[in-house]
Amino acid sequence: MELRICHLYPDVLNLYGDRGNIRCMVKRLEWRGLSAQVTELPIGETADFSQFDLFFIGGGQDFEQGVLLDDLRRSGKAASIRAAAADGKVFLAICGGYQMLGRSYTTWDGQGFDFIGAIDVHTQGGQQRMIGNYVFRCADESGGHEIVGFENHSGKTHLGSGVHPLGQVIRGYGNNGEDGTEGARWNNVFGTYSHGPVLPKNPGFCDMLLQTALDRKAPGWGILAPLEDTLENTAHANVAKFVLGTT
Amino acid sequence: MIRTVLAISACKLTRLALRLLHRGGTALPGKVALRLCPDLLGRLGRDVQVLLVTGTNGKTTTARMLEQAFADAGLPCFANRSGSNLIQGITAEFAENATLTGRPKKKYAVIECDEAASKAVLGQLRPQVILVTNVFRDQLDRYGEITHTLESIYQGLSHVPEATLCLNADCSLTASLQRRLPNPVRFYGVNVPLYKDPVRELSDASHCLFCKTEYEYDLVTYGHLGSFRCPKCGYSRPLPQVAVTEVLEQTADGSRVRMLCDGAEALVHINLPAGYNIYNAVGAVAALTAMGFTLDAAVAAVGHFHCGFGRMEKFQLGSNPVRMILVKNPAGCNQVLNFLSSLDSPALFVICLNDNYADGTDVSWIYDVEFEKLLELGDRLTGVLVSGKRCWDMALRLKYAGIPKEKLQVIEDYDALIQAMARQSSPVIVMPTYTAMLDLRAKLSRVCGGKDFWE
Repeated sequence: MELRICHLYPDVLNLYGDRGNIRCMVKRLEWRGLSAQVTELPIGETADFSQFDLFFIGGGQDFEQGVLLDDLRRSGKAASIRAAAADGKVFLAICGGYQMLGRSYTTWDGQGFDFIGAIDVHTQGGQQRMIGNYVFRCADESGGHEIVGFENHSGKTHLGSGVHPLGQVIRGYGNNGEDGTEGARWNNVFGTYSHGPVLPKNPGFCDMLLQTALDRKAPGWGILAPLEDTLENTAHANVAKFVLGTT
Repeated sequence: MIRTVLAISACKLTRLALRLLHRGGTALPGKVALRLCPDLLGRLGRDVQVLLVTGTNGKTTTARMLEQAFADAGLPCFANRSGSNLIQGITAEFAENATLTGRPKKKYAVIECDEAASKAVLGQLRPQVILVTNVFRDQLDRYGEITHTLESIYQGLSHVPEATLCLNADCSLTASLQRRLPNPVRFYGVNVPLYKDPVRELSDASHCLFCKTEYEYDLVTYGHLGSFRCPKCGYSRPLPQVAVTEVLEQTADGSRVRMLCDGAEALVHINLPAGYNIYNAVGAVAALTAMGFTLDAAVAAVGHFHCGFGRMEKFQLGSNPVRMILVKNPAGCNQVLNFLSSLDSPALFVICLNDNYADGTDVSWIYDVEFEKLLELGDRLTGVLVSGKRCWDMALRLKYAGIPKEKLQVIEDYDALIQAMARQSSPVIVMPTYTAMLDLRAKLSRVCGGKDFWE
């Protein structure tokens, strides 16, 4: 069994160790005797999106945003992404990539940008950065795991109708620092502000994404075997301990 | 005048008090002084000839090279040695160098200045020469985007149009400053490859700063440094007046290169290993010759300076040589891996990862470092020890890099870590982040016999 992973815009959306998420997914498949094929799609390149099982989009800097929006439109990637999301393909989108999957973005001084519109979320730029280690718990429909990560964003994201939060903030800001929600889940699209990267320290979340992608590719394929995750769990617990201040 | 005297006195007294308490603080005395006299730095700097270094990587090492040239020439010079490179620390150094009435004791200063602090510092100081080393992605939780870092430096430089700027021609971000400023500019760069088989790294500046088209490169030395060229708007690497034209030899203790400086050729020994120190040396030669030193004097300085303070600093731990290499960001860390893989001898690798404010609170960057490169060392890598506040994150990163479990060990306690290092039979390379370096260095110095950090 092979999962085909598409890494969207590794050339510009790569700000915070985002490649670590790809490494993590590939390793956790390989350790189980499965394989992964990773295709990188930088600016200017296109591909047939129907061949991919899982899409990854990382976070980026504002500087490249203009180039990116231009490419999304011109290369037809925006339409392909919308179609793949509607088709139930698995997406993991982080921070800027998560915002980019949404409908639109309004800067703090009122400038508006249309984004991909694969999920009904809107981001409003703020002047204060929401930054730091944080902890949230995924909703049961998204695995129910406790997630530790690092967030660093000024945009406040609000979810439209039909889009569920990925989870609830335990300590930190999350989507907007106001309503206690973190991230978004629509169909099999998972968006989060947790860069860091999020997957190595949250192996349950990683496996849930892989399982969802496998289930969609080959229904009834089976259940991912458990792995030896002592180091993963220790790293997770260590962060949770100092963020939550408990032992 | 009275305020100046008061501020200087307060600064000196605070500093003395801290020393008596065996604390090496340099920020607090400056803070006290600036509270009493906000433009104290400008007043004290008026009669001092200043050579200032800023940029993401290489500031401290380069400053030591520059300081060496002043020492060799017998010119009285002071510097902010202990890495206190914000306005408070710099002001404290100037106050320390001043008589109570504000007259300078020493006429020259080599000052390293934090990128984000350059706006405030250059609002007051008037350096003769300013060297900008490079702009890399660094602790984004503090600086924000990489273009913000560049903007901070630009704003600082815009206060001092008369200063001669020495800019890294190979860094598209740094070199761009020339287009926006009226200052006299000297470019320096490296015309040849620095490593045989460098790590694969992400570029921190892949697209043209002016028109956002992807750069083309004739040569990449490391990171985004090299002979860049924008195919659309034509922005390209300026021709350097001071350049490395050949790398003759690189060993574990230093490098030998050929440089061309304003048309004159020189064979240069650099008294510190690794390719990134070749950049520091060519930058230092450019700045020193701009300051009026002869090429020979500049070459001599980079040939016999000593850096210390965690920058490739050597310790002798029993029979084991230990090299401590401070790392602050992915670019710097990747260069250490390039250096490691160029060594022939076996080595034990120690990584200490902290996430205090000065280290950067976000440790995500470890996933932008190609630790997979360690695998190429094979048997030459005798083991990896991991420590620091975020040791478990680091250990996990190495697991995903494919480092075998039996080679990987987490040791949280520094005393136990030093004991484990001493038990090794191979040379040790220690790679700490900033605050981990301070702690570990203090302990190592005590074990090996060394200086306190403010000395």
